[in-house]
Parts: sequence; structure tokens; C-alpha cells
Amino acid sequence: MNRSRVGVSKPALWRLVFVAFCLFVLSGLLISRLVVLQVIDRDRGVGFLQQQGALRSVRTAEIPAYRGLVTDRRGQPLAVSTPVVSIWANPQQLRDSADVVQLATTMGQTPEALAERINLYSDKQFMYLARHQTPDQARAILDLGVPGVRGEREYRRFYPAGEVVSQLVGLTNVDGEGIAGVELAYNEWLRGQTGKKRYLKDLHGDAIRNIGVIEQARSGKSLALSIDLRLQYLQHRVLQRAMVETGAAAGAAVTLDARTGEILAMTNHPVFNPNSREGFDYAATRNRVVTDVFEPGSTMKPLTLVAALESGEYTIESLIDTSPGRVRVGRKVLPDPRNYGEISVSRVIEKSSQVGVTKMAQQMGHEPILEVFQRFGLGEPSSIGFPGERSGVLPNRQRWSDIEKVTLAFGYGLTATPLQLAHAYAVFANEGSQVPLTLLKRNEGESLPIRQVISPEIAGQVLEVLNRVTGSEGTAQKARVDGFRVGGKTGTVHKVGDAGYLDDKYVALFVGVAPIENPRFVTAVVVDQPKGDNYGGGAAAAPIYSAITDGVLRLHNALPAESHEARQLVGLGGGA
Amino acid sequence: MTLRVLPACLLAAALCSALAVVYSSHVVRELYSKQQSVEYQQWALQEDYSRLLLEHSTLASPHRIISIAQDDLAMQPPQLSVHRLVQFQGGQQR
Repeated sequence: MNRSRVGVSKPALWRLVFVAFCLFVLSGLLISRLVVLQVIDRDRGVGFLQQQGALRSVRTAEIPAYRGLVTDRRGQPLAVSTPVVSIWANPQQLRDSADVVQLATTMGQTPEALAERINLYSDKQFMYLARHQTPDQARAILDLGVPGVRGEREYRRFYPAGEVVSQLVGLTNVDGEGIAGVELAYNEWLRGQTGKKRYLKDLHGDAIRNIGVIEQARSGKSLALSIDLRLQYLQHRVLQRAMVETGAAAGAAVTLDARTGEILAMTNHPVFNPNSREGFDYAATRNRVVTDVFEPGSTMKPLTLVAALESGEYTIESLIDTSPGRVRVGRKVLPDPRNYGEISVSRVIEKSSQVGVTKMAQQMGHEPILEVFQRFGLGEPSSIGFPGERSGVLPNRQRWSDIEKVTLAFGYGLTATPLQLAHAYAVFANEGSQVPLTLLKRNEGESLPIRQVISPEIAGQVLEVLNRVTGSEGTAQKARVDGFRVGGKTGTVHKVGDAGYLDDKYVALFVGVAPIENPRFVTAVVVDQPKGDNYGGGAAAAPIYSAITDGVLRLHNALPAESHEARQLVGLGGGA
Repeated sequence: MTLRVLPACLLAAALCSALAVVYSSHVVRELYSKQQSVEYQQWALQEDYSRLLLEHSTLASPHRIISIAQDDLAMQPPQLSVHRLVQFQGGQQR
């Protein structure tokens, strides 16, 4: 009785239906929630969930880009990017690892030092163990298979020419961005575009699957400079040797091709080694040729001569009376080394006579002289786009005292860089016209914006006078080059200190043009604070010019002066 | 009739598409691994290239050339007195 009542009770069916209904509703709820999360609600559902998932597993990595090559005009490399590997690690994984000892010895460090560094980063997820290892070194470290230690491909910049072009080419920082010199000036051109790729990682951070490249890495473009490395090396060697001989604090030299405006060589002292950052001296990174200004002194006298010749009141043979060897201007007496008597304008420049130039300046007034300086590009930027490039200053004042009018004529009261000086003299070497300067190699047959500064006749006359400066009566006999006719002008300037001009500190200058028959190469040399008695431009700077020009002419196969005469005798003309 | 064919067609299409997905992802993986190996090759070649470039410029550096010419070979710049100007007969002068 009891059994049958339990077995077929009516309420049992009702309960079954109820439970089934509940389960159905619940699963319906679950499914509808799933639909909402996966399909309908994009912001807080699908999007959010996918994002959270990606955050935990998908990573993007950078693909390093190759930085362009910097070469000289003949294709010799000056800056090269080479592949290296940076070793990094997760300090969390490395902290208690027994492999630290082995790792340290492979890297050439003491285990204690490495352990200390790992401790320093103990709350981080990332630390560099060793940056910029050569691929072989890196392989040795990575082959140990220490968990948590990984390699990352990078590029490192090498400078094969080292200190010879250090200030010019400049530097990149550890991340491959230009921070000085050409590397900085043309950073946008040289740098590549870093690419991006995406990959999946596992719990330990190891890449398990690459998803694909999002952005291809693009290599930087290479850059050919106007520099000739052979010439640069020669200039560097001559300058460094001269610095030792004269005991000077600093020096700079630059050589231009006056026809194309290309800078063929540009060197400085002191130098630094761009391949090593140990004992790095920031002062040595300055490219003095473009960043340092000084008063050009007597090297401006040929420009004053231009003003005199243009005024029509003088020819190079006009006579000027320089007796008694000194002249009073205002409260100041300007002396010559001795009484030259009555001498020609040409001889005034040859001897660098203060009295002669003063008399010419007093006759002409300062306006035409200042105007000529302006026309030659002084006080204007040389615009080669070099970082830290300066333009010097031309005086621009309302009232001029008598002494200021005169000292302008021999190069005091204005400032210029060595590059500007060389560019001004390029006018004499290029039949009176000036071509914009460039640090980049010009293409063959490129049309150049030529600016006629003075007439070819006057340029020729000044060139003749410049040649005589290196003659037997001139101040720059040490500038002569065996077998060639060269011309130039010396300058010796008092340095400026806290209390005006210093009596015992000088800057020695020489700017020259070569060869006279077929002028093309202009070289400016600056020697800062030469020691001893040979502090003048003719003694300290002219020999440097001579040695540099000797090499320039040889490398360009210039015809010696005598063979020039021989060719003219047989009617071949004087093309080089 | 159409009511019976349509689902069959859809089922076949879905099956084809599923297989195509499998196939294309296989191709992608293959191409990607090929790209990786080519990229690795490029890296290795670049490594060689820049090493050779550096070696070349070290060997051809003016410093080395001068020291070999002067010290090992006892060479010197020609004196002006030994220069000879040679003329081309009717040739073009440069």
C-alpha cells in the first residue's frame, strides 16, 4: 500500500516539470548573456574582452631600421651601422637563478657585480645586461640558455675614419639618433623608419607565435659628403703636427673648391675618438671651422684693397707715403714694424702695412669698405646647415669714431668663422663670383646659383697681389709651395680677454688661394694661441697652409707653374 | 525541392569555407616562416657587409697606406726636379 503510493505519486511529475523548466530558463539566461557579451554589447562586451585577452598575450616588437651610410665624395665610408645584439633580462626570473655565475663569467663581469645590478632592478620586469654586443659575443651569452635572458637586435654606429672626421661627421646616441655634426644635421635623411611586428607570448614572456608585420622597417638613405677623405686625412695630420710644434691651444683648417663651393676638408684640434665614449671631452666635439668666430685681422686687407680699386682712386701700383712708419688716429698711434717710406698699394698689402691701409681707409671712408665686406658674405650665415653654425658680426652702428673707421679696414671690430673667411677668398679664386657652400657632394653638371661679387679684372689684380705676399718681400714666404704659385694673406690678431685685447695671446691666421694660374682651391688656417716667438700668421699658420696646399695640388694633379709656362710657350694654354 | 537543396548547399559552402580558412592559415604560417628565414639571412648578410666594409676601410686607411709606403717600401713623394711633362701627339688633352 505504502509502496504503491510512493511509486506513482502525482506531485512527482509536477516537480520534474518544475526542475526542467528552471534548468531551461537558467541555460537560456546563460546563452542570452553570452550573446550579449559576444555579439550585442561591443563596448563592454566583445571589445573589452578581446582587449583584455590581447593585453595578456599579444605583444608588439620593434624591427630596427638600418641607418644610412655616410661616405666621402669617393665613396669611402665615414659612418657605418653594424648589426649588434643587446642582451636583456627579466630580473624577476634571474634573481634566484643559479645561472648568474655562469652568465657573469661569459659576459666578462664578476658574479658579485652582476648580482648587485640585478638586485638594483629587482622590482622591474626589464633590464639590459649588456648593450651592443657583437653577434659572436651575444651568441655565446644566449647559447647558455638562461631562462629570462633574451637578445634584441639593434644597430651600432661605427666611424672607420675615427678622429680624422670626428667633429664633422658627429655622433649618434645609444639609440641611434644623431646628436652632433652631420649625423644631427641630416638625421631625418639618414635615419630609417622603425618597423613593428606583433607576436603572441606565453606566461614566461617567450614568443610562441608571430602574428605578422604591422609596419615594415625602412632603411635610411645614404649620404655622400663633399669631403675627400685623403685630403681630410692629410689636413688632419698636418694640423696635429703643427699644434704640437707651436704648442697652440686649438686650431682649425678648411679647404674649399671655389668653383663648386664644395668643402673638401675640414679639420680641428683638439680631436676626440667617436668610437669610444670613455674620457669624452665635449669641448673637442666642437667643429671650430663653423662654430668659432674671431676677428679676422689683416686677412681682411685684400677686401679693403678691393674697395680701394673699385673707388677708382687707386691702382695696385699707386704710391702711398708711409713715412715715418707710424700714424696717429685720434688718441691711438698705429705703427709699422719699420719705416717703409713711399711704397705701392701692392707693397702695402705684401708688407701688411698698418700705416698704408690706414691712409687708404681715411681717404675712402668706412662705408665702401663695409659695403665690400657685406658683398663678400661676411656677417651672413654660411648656410651649410651645420649644427651650431655661426655667422659672425659686421658692425652696424650709427656713429663711427675715427679709430673705428680705420680699424675696420684691417679687420678689427668684426667677427667671422674660418669657413666664412675661406668663402670670402673664394671670390678671388673664381673670377670675382661666389658659389654657395655645401657639405654635400655636388652632381656633375649641376647648375649653380653664381653670384658676381666683384669684376673679374679686380679679382685678377688682387690675386696677383696675394701671390706677391708669398714673394721675397712679403710676409708669408713660408706659405710657398714647391713648384707652384700660390697666394694668400696672413693675419695676427690679439685675443680678447676680460679687459680688452690681451698683449700676449694671439690668433694666427692664413687664408690662401692656389694655384694662381688656374685658381681653384682656397684654404683657411687658424691657430689659436701659438706659444713662443713664432706667434704670427706668417710663422704659425702659413707653414700649415703650405703643407696642406702641397697635398691638395698633388691629389688633384695640378700642373706645376713651370710646366704652365712651358705649355703657354708651345701654345697649349693653361687648362688643368 | 528548393527547401531541401538550399540547406545542403549552405552546409557544403560552410564546409568549404572552413577548409579554406584552415588552408589559408597554413599558407600564412608557411610564408611567414619563409619571411623570417629570409629576414634572418638579410640580417646575417648585413652583418657580413658592414664587417667587410669596416675591414676594407681599415685596410685602405690613409694612415696605413702612408706607413706602409714610407716605412716598409721606403717610398717618398717625387721631387719636382724629376717631374716630366708628357704631351699627347694630337691627342685630347685633359
